[in-house]
Amino acid sequence: MNSDTDSKPDTLALTYAAWLTRLWLAVRAIQTGVEKFAGKVSSEQVVNIDGAPNDYDLTASSAEKAYSLSNYHGVPAALYEKFAGEPLIPGFFLKFYDMILGPALLILGFAILLGIASRTALFLLGALYVSLTWGLILLGEPGNAGVAWLAAHMILIVFALQLSRHNKLCLLKKW
Amino acid sequence: MSDLPTPLNRRSFLTRTTGAAGAGLVLGAPSILSANNADKRDAIHIALVGFGKQGEVLFNCLKNIPGLHFQAVCDISNYSRKKGMGQVRAVQGELPKGYEDIDEMLATEKGLDAAVIATPDFWHSPHTVKCLEAGLHVYCEKMMSNTIEGARAMVVAAEKSGKLCQIGHQRRSNPRYRYTYEQLINGKKICGQIVNANAQWNRSLGASQDIGGKKLAKSIIVPDETLNRYGFKDMHEYLNWRLYRDLSGGPISDLGAHQIDIFNWFLGVQPTSVFASGGNDYFTEREHFDNVMAIFDYDTPQGGVRAFYQVLTTTSSGGGFWESFMGTEATIKTSEIASTSAIYREDGAPSWDGLVDKGYLKRKPAPPKPAPSADAVAAYESAAPEEYDLPGGFNKPAHQPHLENFFAAVRGEASLNCDARHAFESEAPIFYVNPSALQKERIEFTKEQLSV
Repeated sequence: MNSDTDSKPDTLALTYAAWLTRLWLAVRAIQTGVEKFAGKVSSEQVVNIDGAPNDYDLTASSAEKAYSLSNYHGVPAALYEKFAGEPLIPGFFLKFYDMILGPALLILGFAILLGIASRTALFLLGALYVSLTWGLILLGEPGNAGVAWLAAHMILIVFALQLSRHNKLCLLKKW
Repeated sequence: MSDLPTPLNRRSFLTRTTGAAGAGLVLGAPSILSANNADKRDAIHIALVGFGKQGEVLFNCLKNIPGLHFQAVCDISNYSRKKGMGQVRAVQGELPKGYEDIDEMLATEKGLDAAVIATPDFWHSPHTVKCLEAGLHVYCEKMMSNTIEGARAMVVAAEKSGKLCQIGHQRRSNPRYRYTYEQLINGKKICGQIVNANAQWNRSLGASQDIGGKKLAKSIIVPDETLNRYGFKDMHEYLNWRLYRDLSGGPISDLGAHQIDIFNWFLGVQPTSVFASGGNDYFTEREHFDNVMAIFDYDTPQGGVRAFYQVLTTTSSGGGFWESFMGTEATIKTSEIASTSAIYREDGAPSWDGLVDKGYLKRKPAPPKPAPSADAVAAYESAAPEEYDLPGGFNKPAHQPHLENFFAAVRGEASLNCDARHAFESEAPIFYVNPSALQKERIEFTKEQLSV
């Protein structure tokens, strides 16, 4: 009796595993995409001295995080400059990649979160991480920490694909 | 300006307010002349004289100041002149007139109100005098001149013409410097008795190299005939006029003038003597010393002060450029770079808690205390002073407040923070630093040496 129970897959646990993996990958992709639109809004405020605004226009500056379309930067500026110097990355491709990276992360993240063509979305997200891995290899990052970090994402994507049979609550099961 | 429909002609208004400012009065300008409402007719019409590196620095401040109309650009270099004209067009959408020669510009251009002069030092005095005599207010870069006679001529011309003449010691309008001087040193007297001052400008070799290589781009080359007409032997002299004795005062005036001016401003008196040393320690072929050190003696109402200044163009360590005023109760270290500035309270000085509570100062976090030591030397060490900071900064290019002050004075809304006479009184001792170093002698100043 016991051996029958042990050999039967625990579908509830597998569904939970699928949901958690799906949620993690979706949040990771969506928030990374949203952060591509983040920037700082600086403000200057006149400093009060002895209870009144000072006569010298001395100010204290503060910067607050804000999101807007005009802040968009697909590839961070520091990395962009390095990629621009790579002979294997054509200029037009870098511009195109910079343009689509943020929207791609958002679209794929929401597709995974809502269960829209989950397997294809996971595959495309994996392909995106492969492209990022390739870029980091080209830059020759010391220690390859970034590559290892992306490899962890890849393991989760593969795990999510394996669990796709148990992925319930999807808007579009096909693909 | 004569086409102004209002009964108060703007030029006559400017003339009148200039006279009033000279008499120590400050009049308010009518709202029609306020910067915010200024259109081209009401704007102050400016000639930019000299559009090299410093001219561009000034223009990048001027374009932030409302109510200005850039009417003409004058520079002997086609490249610089066209660059200046292009930048003006980008700002005001209209190409200014361009001139190689200042005499031609002054003879041709009608309706100019002011000139901003950023030419090499040896041209400052002739250019300023010409503009003042033509009825223009003048903002002229420091050092006033490469000779004390040239500087004197500027004061005489300014006072004779009744026009405003501001010298570009821009720290005099810097809100952080003004607050330090007026509120902390004179107002709250946090330094106690100032007994010593130090300042330095240490510049690296990389930043001190000759400008221009052996092969210059064709576009920047000025024909020899033009160079000779304007006092330059060749392109090297033209690009590196700071290195030549006939054209400038060298590093002590190019860099030191800013900071020695702060000695004289903050201490409120001229020095009584200078003893200097200098040498060509690295750039052995240059006419001017590459490293100079000078000690000025001051006799202030509070007592004697010695001020040490060094300018090095061979090494940059030691924190770059700053001025430090050391008193019995505190030391104030000022710099155009806010992060280099600091205020140190002496151990045993009266508490500053009240000043911090009211916002006059900010307390910086205390550094970690060193471990107790049995070292015999440590026993003689003074306790580390507490560190404080100004309550705020300002977020504008360094030269902008000084230019704003000049144009506010032109509008009759302020008095100049560094007029030609005050600038002369502050710069006069600097003219004796190189002679002291050359003669290896201390120079005791006479009243005649330091006055117009």
